[in-house]
Amino acid sequence: MRKHSWIFLVLIMALLVAGCQPKAAEPEVADTIKIGFFGALSGDQAVWGQADRDGLLLTVNQINEAGGVLGKQLEVIAYDDKGDQLESVNVVKRLINEDKVSAIIGCNSSGRNIAVAPVTEEGKVPIISTFATNPRVTVPEEGTLMKYTFRVCFIDPYSGDVTAKFAMNDLGAKKAAVLYEISSDYSVGVRDFFVKSWEDMGGEIVADEAFKTGDVDFRPQLTRIKEADPDVIVMPFLYKEVALSAKQARDLGITATMLGGDGWPSSALLEMAGEAVEGSYFINHGDTNAPNVQAFAQAYKEEFDKEIEINSIMAHDAMMMLQAAIENAGSSDPDAIRDALEALEGLEVFTGTITVDTETHNPIGKAASIIKIENNEFVFFKQFDPME
Amino acid sequence: MILQQIINGLSIGAVYALLAVGYSLVYSVLNFSNFAHGEVLMLGSYIGFFSLTQLGVPFVVAIVLSVVGTGVIAIVLERIGYRPLRLRSAPLLYFMISAMGLSIFLQNLTIVTIGPNFRTYPDIISTAPITIGDLYIGRLDLMIFGITLLSLLLLTWFIYGTKMGSGIRAASYNMRVASLMGINPDLVVAIVFLLAGATAGVGGMLFGMKYTVYPWMGTLTIKAFIAAVVGGLGSLPGAVIGAFLLGITETFAAAYVSSAFRDLFSFALMILIIVIRPGGLMGVVSQEKA
Repeated sequence: MRKHSWIFLVLIMALLVAGCQPKAAEPEVADTIKIGFFGALSGDQAVWGQADRDGLLLTVNQINEAGGVLGKQLEVIAYDDKGDQLESVNVVKRLINEDKVSAIIGCNSSGRNIAVAPVTEEGKVPIISTFATNPRVTVPEEGTLMKYTFRVCFIDPYSGDVTAKFAMNDLGAKKAAVLYEISSDYSVGVRDFFVKSWEDMGGEIVADEAFKTGDVDFRPQLTRIKEADPDVIVMPFLYKEVALSAKQARDLGITATMLGGDGWPSSALLEMAGEAVEGSYFINHGDTNAPNVQAFAQAYKEEFDKEIEINSIMAHDAMMMLQAAIENAGSSDPDAIRDALEALEGLEVFTGTITVDTETHNPIGKAASIIKIENNEFVFFKQFDPME
Repeated sequence: MILQQIINGLSIGAVYALLAVGYSLVYSVLNFSNFAHGEVLMLGSYIGFFSLTQLGVPFVVAIVLSVVGTGVIAIVLERIGYRPLRLRSAPLLYFMISAMGLSIFLQNLTIVTIGPNFRTYPDIISTAPITIGDLYIGRLDLMIFGITLLSLLLLTWFIYGTKMGSGIRAASYNMRVASLMGINPDLVVAIVFLLAGATAGVGGMLFGMKYTVYPWMGTLTIKAFIAAVVGGLGSLPGAVIGAFLLGITETFAAAYVSSAFRDLFSFALMILIIVIRPGGLMGVVSQEKA
């Protein structure tokens, strides 16, 4: 065995490197309110998981500097779920049972929030998702409600509906093609609601193509879309696949306008896709260039040395909801916070005014922003009023 | 549209071919599937990426660096992960387990050290496609096709036209007899891993240029593995034929059946071939390989 001892040395060193990641849990301090966070801090969604976390950390720092909540300092305990549903369930259990947090903020994925909802329900700890837009996150089936699950974002039917209205009314499109990710709850959700709204409005779906998570080549599907000659292509999935499919679509000579959703906004998209997404539009929950978020964005850049993402703003807004709920409840007891969250009304946050719908736990009355990609930049195009 | 889809299929098949050959090479001599092959591809892709962006070397130099790098990495992996097993004549299952361990280890090491982000290769050639009537052919696809063919030709020449190649072929029939005839088995294995690693290096560069670079890109080689099985593990021409067959099948399944069923067809093709011809298309009875 001696001969191989150096191999073990290498392995042990590698384990040490892996173990040296920043430790999330700090030694217990008595007078703090513990807030749990989970998200993909590694893996292909890490860009957003980290943006979520950093937005939350900055917000919490600012609240703590201003004196905390109910005179107590806030403490964030953050875990990495690697974008994996099983891991999400594990870390949320740990947050509830071992860390005994008052509330949880996270994450940015419908699939993972659907997976953890029963866990928070059982542990009776409220959870506010930043970006889980599928209706089933809070209402798994008609008539039921996940009592402890809340969200700060608008939901997919709305997103699909806005996409359809925008494509028809503003872009004058008649024929639409859809490319979607069949293994993603989010993507299938937007696709379903878009198709429904589009057909209700008298539009025609000329191509309806799917791919699987992890696919890198979309040319067979795109060739079919090209044959169908659509005016717009709806692409409700995440930036990496958007970049690859957009490039391949342009390579095949497809000139239709591309429309996306809240999976698009990431500086990584512009870097990866370049010219291919020029002139495309996407529906988003807010705008990182909006005047009211500039001070926060500036502080974010100074703190973390990177540009702010929309996720950080959503995490900020989720924290605002939580802060308001704790203050209204006058307690950091999870059940009291839950009741206060449900009763939240007219709370001003960066991305609009939040009133929690007691039936669905969705925020009512949030406007959608339509963003255009121009000169390889995200440019605010117009505000879409929910009452329209 | 059929022509366009054939072109799509061929260009997907070309990348699979390069990788399937790596699986088959190792299998032909050691009789096991090196599941860490995908990670060698991933490392090759990173070497190419950093050579181009950090060192700023020309494309050809980057490819050479990537090929040399992955060749060396493959040999090192063989030393660490497989040679100790080989010397102890361990059961083949242990090789597979060791390979999977290496694969997970390398993937996570990359995530921790380099980071989980996607990285985009700088544009090597114009991205504007060549148009012939209604057909669009990507310049990058043509280049990938050309480089793949060139690499395969070089590999074929090496295996069939050099003394060392004869040694590899002899070892693939029977390692023990070959070593009795004066062929150094350690050297043969090292050369085989060098060659497999080198093809992964080229593959990694091409893959990276087309589909970006990220730590778990190695998992995509599962398709190349299917191609190698379809063609007959251990057979180089089989791997190439299997790869193009798979590329075209996938494309046509997506185009004419349903894009959601694409992978269903890939795996169904593999199962079908295994059931009908357990050795794969070009695989012959186990005594006559490569």
